[in-house]
Amino acid sequence: MTDNKALAEQLVKRCLAKGGDAAEVYIESSRGLNVEVRNGDVEIIQEAATSGVGIRVFLGGRMAFSHCNDAADGALDAAISSAIAFARTTTADASNVLPADAGVTAIDGLYDPSMAKVPMQAKIDLAKAVEKLAMNDPRISKSAGASYGEDETEIILANSNGLSKGCRLSGCGFGVSAVAVKGDVQSPGGESCSRRFFADLPPAADIARRAAKNALELLDPRPVQTQRAAVLVDPDVTGAILGGLLAAVNGETVLQGASFLGAMLDKAIASALLTLVDDGTRPKGLASRPFDGEGVPTQRRVIVDRGVLRTFMYNTIVATRAGVKSTGNATRGGYASLPDIGPHNVSMAAGTTPPDEIVKATKLGLWLKDVTGYGINPVNGNFSGGASGLWIENGKVAYAVRGLTIASTAREMLNGIDMVGRDVDFDRRFAAPLFRIKEMQIGGE
Amino acid sequence: MSAPHRVVRDIPRRTFLEVGLKGGLGMAAVPTAIERLFALGAPQALVAPPVQMDPAVLDRVIRKALEKGGEFADVYVETRTARSLLMEESRFKSAVLGISRGAGVRVILGDKTGYAFTDEVTEDKLLRAAEVASFVARGGTPAKPVNVRAEARASFVNVKLPLGDVADEKRLDICRRANQAALEYDKRIKMASVSYYDEVRGRVIANSEGVFLTNELPLLFFIVQALSEGNNTRHMGRERLSRHSGFEMFDEVPPEQVARSSAREAIAMLDATDAPSGKMDVVMQNGWGGVLVHEAVGHPLEGDGISKKLGVFTGKFGQKVASPLFTMVDDSSIPNARGTTSFDDEGTQGRRNVLIKDGVLVRFMTDILSARQLKMDRTGNGRRESFRYLPIPRMTNTFIDNGKDRPEDILASTKSGIYVQALSGGSVDDVSGVFNFTCREAYLIENGRKTAPIKGATLIGNCLDIIKDIDAVGNDLDFGPGICGKGQAAEVNAGQPTVRIRGINVGGTRGRG
Repeated sequence: MTDNKALAEQLVKRCLAKGGDAAEVYIESSRGLNVEVRNGDVEIIQEAATSGVGIRVFLGGRMAFSHCNDAADGALDAAISSAIAFARTTTADASNVLPADAGVTAIDGLYDPSMAKVPMQAKIDLAKAVEKLAMNDPRISKSAGASYGEDETEIILANSNGLSKGCRLSGCGFGVSAVAVKGDVQSPGGESCSRRFFADLPPAADIARRAAKNALELLDPRPVQTQRAAVLVDPDVTGAILGGLLAAVNGETVLQGASFLGAMLDKAIASALLTLVDDGTRPKGLASRPFDGEGVPTQRRVIVDRGVLRTFMYNTIVATRAGVKSTGNATRGGYASLPDIGPHNVSMAAGTTPPDEIVKATKLGLWLKDVTGYGINPVNGNFSGGASGLWIENGKVAYAVRGLTIASTAREMLNGIDMVGRDVDFDRRFAAPLFRIKEMQIGGE
Repeated sequence: MSAPHRVVRDIPRRTFLEVGLKGGLGMAAVPTAIERLFALGAPQALVAPPVQMDPAVLDRVIRKALEKGGEFADVYVETRTARSLLMEESRFKSAVLGISRGAGVRVILGDKTGYAFTDEVTEDKLLRAAEVASFVARGGTPAKPVNVRAEARASFVNVKLPLGDVADEKRLDICRRANQAALEYDKRIKMASVSYYDEVRGRVIANSEGVFLTNELPLLFFIVQALSEGNNTRHMGRERLSRHSGFEMFDEVPPEQVARSSAREAIAMLDATDAPSGKMDVVMQNGWGGVLVHEAVGHPLEGDGISKKLGVFTGKFGQKVASPLFTMVDDSSIPNARGTTSFDDEGTQGRRNVLIKDGVLVRFMTDILSARQLKMDRTGNGRRESFRYLPIPRMTNTFIDNGKDRPEDILASTKSGIYVQALSGGSVDDVSGVFNFTCREAYLIENGRKTAPIKGATLIGNCLDIIKDIDAVGNDLDFGPGICGKGQAAEVNAGQPTVRIRGINVGGTRGRG
């Protein structure tokens, strides 16, 4: 890490020496392994290490960015020169500034030093095991493959405000996709898991069982009529249902007048049962970081508190434009990406109702297991998607349904949340309990 | 790993930037070339010459890759230079320049594939990658490689104004012209977002069959979004233009035209009313609507799924699967089109492949691996996002071929339903065959006429049903550009003439009719 840290600091100086007023250097190095198996045999083994540098330069309020994956001095110099030349062409903006926060949020468990020491064969065996266990169910007739993957990343960030930070992150995971077949119908069911530490991965049998269950429960769908009915949102599809909300609280979208929530700060936007938290600080969290994509320390922030919208998300430039402080939500897609705005670990707070009770209390409804489409449109709040899941009649699961549509508006959906389950699995990217939306338009026969 | 959803979208801005930038923009064989490339005041040097690879080095790397027992090996060397600009709220928000290079070595033994890649294109690093990739083939009987021989091939990409000769100021000017045209279209247009992207991807492809190809693919991608605001609602319109072409693309299609089309949609949709829900007839306007068959039919016809006996077309080769009016083609040889490759990333020559002819399934799309597994022809569909990814079967320019109906007759003969003018994109679960796509601009059809605009609705169905239910095919084939995601991104065109599909499930917010 020290090598790249010194390099980053030195590159910042070189940017200033070549004429920049301010500069930022982001270096990302990573190593990855991917194994795919099918029908008990290895199909793909892929291994690689890679690294790259992203350079932002500022010139009288004008900004440009360049990146390259060549660490040779000449290439880096060229990247700096070209960024400076490109900056001259853009528009000056007083908000184009870099952060100076020296702090780093202390978070435990983001890097597993022993993951790389686990032998390759053990990782191959894990993928083989989860496939074999999924296929143990006699009703599962095909495997669409199983996989194991891991990566380790080092991030170094330095800027001309004296900010210089680094961190190491690791991640690993495995999963399987099993297929149940009945007549002409093929029903795939997948399940996967990911963790920061190899030793924290759940037993293969748990993942295999859930994959088989997912394939089997939608195998025998029946048609339903077009109607309005309750919708139960399974934790697997929370992101597909509520994800658009996160795009609508992006501070830049709000400034542009392109968010349906733009005028709703500190106002009720949802049922009092809805509390949403964005947490960049959770120990071992898959999206936790000690600092965001610009080096600002991460935070835990309540976005929606019992139905009331409490914050928008900002990076430094957009926060400066809006006259507020960065919320530590600068995200980066890698060394080749400019900082954008996005959430960390998002979770919906647990309610008090046992999940069974939600089903029992539903006279007629759709328990959503799979949702397709773009989710809530952050511009105007409209929602329409494809849906599969289980049909509920008189408080019981009656049969599977596939190929339905669901539609509503964000206002109706958010205010319609009327029951929230009490269990949340925080190892999911968008962690949430099972919850119910009182009524949505469901399109069928 | 969830269900194997395949996705294609017409690319909102963020995704566009992400995908555009992923894998690095960039190119240059050696550091000195990069320096030359970016010497200040020398914009004519912006595109580096393709990597020069010594055939003797390639032969040694391929031999190393096969040493442990592989049957096939290839080396892919890539360089990329790219620029992107984002103009929003009438200001240039970002200017990005990137260079990247790298190489991957692949080894195949039976159904097994080993792959390793490196950022550093040196013989040492390539030999090391070959060794790592060969791990998977331990115990096999090594094939004897054919020494590589350089070969020149005709290109389907013709360039008049090379991107490397274009001054940055010209790129900026294109964005300014589009921004102005969008804002001037109507006073209810409050903002325009103009994304400009160009890249030159240099490829060297060499394999154990003796193939040795060197080539450059330029790509331009231009997106204008326009935000309209009306009474209590707003809409983001979008229009895209993309080709494998030089800068002359903007002489052929001016940026103002793209901007006005985006603004037109944004204004038209301000009056959108709630869409109906339930089964109804759908008329899809020519062009990007071809994403329907890209998703519903194209993905399930890709050789990787077929060789695993997954998917709805398993066991249906040679059978009638669609309406006799339905002919579907994937053609990577259309001059300068966004999905055109000249030859694919494995070196297989691009060509026109008819997949379904008059309703009968006649061809799958293959890469080298799936062609071996299926004992079928290589169709030139082996593509990869960058050297960081393995090649897999992908679509190129995929479309429903022209029929005989006049588009106006198709609409006039549809009593009621919806008319889909623009789609955002869609996805398919290619095991179950359930697909969906989302309308961006759609209208009610009442008594054979296009009437009120309706809010974005989802269309959903099963791919085997949908291609049987197409009962009218127009004679006005057109295309639209998109990014297809299948674990890695690929630039594609989707196309169709105006078509009618009977009885598709539409997801609106109100009851039928």
